[in-house]
Amino acid sequence: MPGCIKKRILLTTFLLIFTGLLLTAQNNAIQKYGKANVFAGLEVGSKGVKLSLIELLNKETDDADFKILKDTTINTDFISFTQPTYQATLNAMNILYDVAAKQYDIPAVNIFTAISSGVHIQAEKEEKLGWIDQLINSFKYIINEPDRKVTVIDIKEEARLSHLGIIPEARRYKTFLIDIGSGNTKGGYFPYSDTKTFKLFELTWGTKSVANATEKIMGNDKTTENYTNQLSRVLDGAEDKEIVYAVNLSGAFPKSDNIAFSGGIAWAVANLIAPELNENSVIPVSYEEVMEFSEKLAKNPGLYSDQQIVKNLAPNTADPVKTAKDVKQVNKVFDQRSLLSGTGLMLKIMRQFDGVFERKQFFLVKNGSVGWISAFVNLNAGK
Amino acid sequence: MRDTKSLLLLLVSLLLVVVSFILIWTWGYSYYKNNSNTISDIKPAAADTALMVNRLKDSLQKEFNATLQELDLQLSTTVSQTDSLKTELDTKLAEFYRLRNEIAAILKNRNTGNNFSEARQKISELQTRVADLKDKNQDVEKENKKLDEVLTQLGNTEKANGKNAKNGIAVKSSTAEKSSPVYSVFTASDLRLAAIMNAGEKETETNVAEKTDQLEGSFTVVNFNSQFTNAEMMVVVLGPDGRVLKNSSWDSGTFNTPEGKKVYSSKFNFSYTMGEAKRLAFTLKTAAIASGNYTMEVYHNGLLIGKMVKTLT
Repeated sequence: MPGCIKKRILLTTFLLIFTGLLLTAQNNAIQKYGKANVFAGLEVGSKGVKLSLIELLNKETDDADFKILKDTTINTDFISFTQPTYQATLNAMNILYDVAAKQYDIPAVNIFTAISSGVHIQAEKEEKLGWIDQLINSFKYIINEPDRKVTVIDIKEEARLSHLGIIPEARRYKTFLIDIGSGNTKGGYFPYSDTKTFKLFELTWGTKSVANATEKIMGNDKTTENYTNQLSRVLDGAEDKEIVYAVNLSGAFPKSDNIAFSGGIAWAVANLIAPELNENSVIPVSYEEVMEFSEKLAKNPGLYSDQQIVKNLAPNTADPVKTAKDVKQVNKVFDQRSLLSGTGLMLKIMRQFDGVFERKQFFLVKNGSVGWISAFVNLNAGK
Repeated sequence: MRDTKSLLLLLVSLLLVVVSFILIWTWGYSYYKNNSNTISDIKPAAADTALMVNRLKDSLQKEFNATLQELDLQLSTTVSQTDSLKTELDTKLAEFYRLRNEIAAILKNRNTGNNFSEARQKISELQTRVADLKDKNQDVEKENKKLDEVLTQLGNTEKANGKNAKNGIAVKSSTAEKSSPVYSVFTASDLRLAAIMNAGEKETETNVAEKTDQLEGSFTVVNFNSQFTNAEMMVVVLGPDGRVLKNSSWDSGTFNTPEGKKVYSSKFNFSYTMGEAKRLAFTLKTAAIASGNYTMEVYHNGLLIGKMVKTLT
């Protein structure tokens, strides 16, 4: 047996034992969700496998008609399409399925499995669609459920499901949802008064791709000042060449009163810009507010540290401990430059909707990451 | 030679006499003409008294309108700036409106027999009221200035004594000093916050916290000063624990005030025409309503323009 295969087996075994120990340790405090209205969504994404435990609610308020009880991810990097990442993904699927079925006591019929559009697109691009089929078949074999349905979602369906999962029914037909991802931006809206027809909106720019393009043209001057200068150059190009046309083509302006942003950058900016609304899953913002945030962030990033934010928190608004924890998490995921890139891209898109005579209401969605899987669960649970 | 000289003198004398005669005749004629004009003017006036009455009325109307314009302008400023002297001002305003209506009624009636001297008298009374209101307005401004001075003094004393131990407060105070708006152009009145109980299909008002299903609030806003076409109002409803009551994440947000950032319960964006009394209403469906005091605050441009407290047992 070659040495590299031995190493892989050892690594996989270690990963399995470690994850098993971690989950066993957590088990003591685990709550059982054997209730009829609690469902699980198991999603294979570009970065890893995600388990979301969702409680479906009665639609009495304008808020979402579901509640996220748990949201766990195991990073496996499936889209590398290598044997170890394939094995890690399969293992992660099995582990998280067991967590849902055995530890949280969710019946198999209430566990829904899907492969995200990001995985499907990448597999198609690299002619690796067979890997997806093999993953699905292996998973069904291991859990001993040959009839289990594992749905491969395409980009339009994912955007449609995100809209259904994030935007409440009362605002469904007047809201344009834009999901700014790391490598691209997608979203859309329902142009008619039904959820069957969905108008897709796509951009080839995302938070990370903007940051990468900026870094590439910085040269030897690595200062923040130069970064912001080059960033505006990149964003101006993106706006002139793509954003303006994509927004016009979408035809969203006359049909949407609200423009909602989801994705990592929306979650990050929402937490930093309005810590007072820490409990809110969505926060309303104006173009000017985001612009001011971006300017302050470029000049003094220290203003958005957890200590500083909690210090300036208005009394009787949000829990300081939870706020500090969330802000810390934001600063762990996004550094100043990636925040500036994502915010800059968001501002360029916002600007297309910020007319002199007619201005749209902008929202930043915090729980967008579980949007499509929750809608997928919601729709399938209703069948 | 002598005969020629005397003939020339005679001719000049004659010329002078003729010129003098012409001048005397011209003066005489113009004097006669003026007299005849006065007579012809008086005659038609005497013949058509209705026209005279109307002209007199028109002049009164103009005077009345001018007074009204001046008063409306003054009233707008006064309404927005009065506070402690409001009751006294209200009395004066009531007197003004009564007089204005009386004058309008007189001027409406175009009968020749009307006593326009009464209208003139009332207009002069109206003008006196305007002067009174002006004085009152000046008093209000003086009071405001005094209050500002007292507040500045207090602020300075606090700074000197170092009483503002909390940095956050100090930052907010400096922000407040920088913010330019001092007055809001809108005034809020008739604030109402009701606890509603849903008994079947029927909604009834209650004062019992346990029975309350939702809170309903309403208020009227007026702006006499600025030509706003669009306006934005924020409503903050604070529960007994001091926390802001919210409907859903989509309905609540934050806004800036001189005291710092605040969370609003409801926001209104509406089109507006100057002088219009706009009634705005909202509903708050919150999970649990505890007994105690519920405070409703109305803000425009970050400034508090109305406040009321509702107690639920």
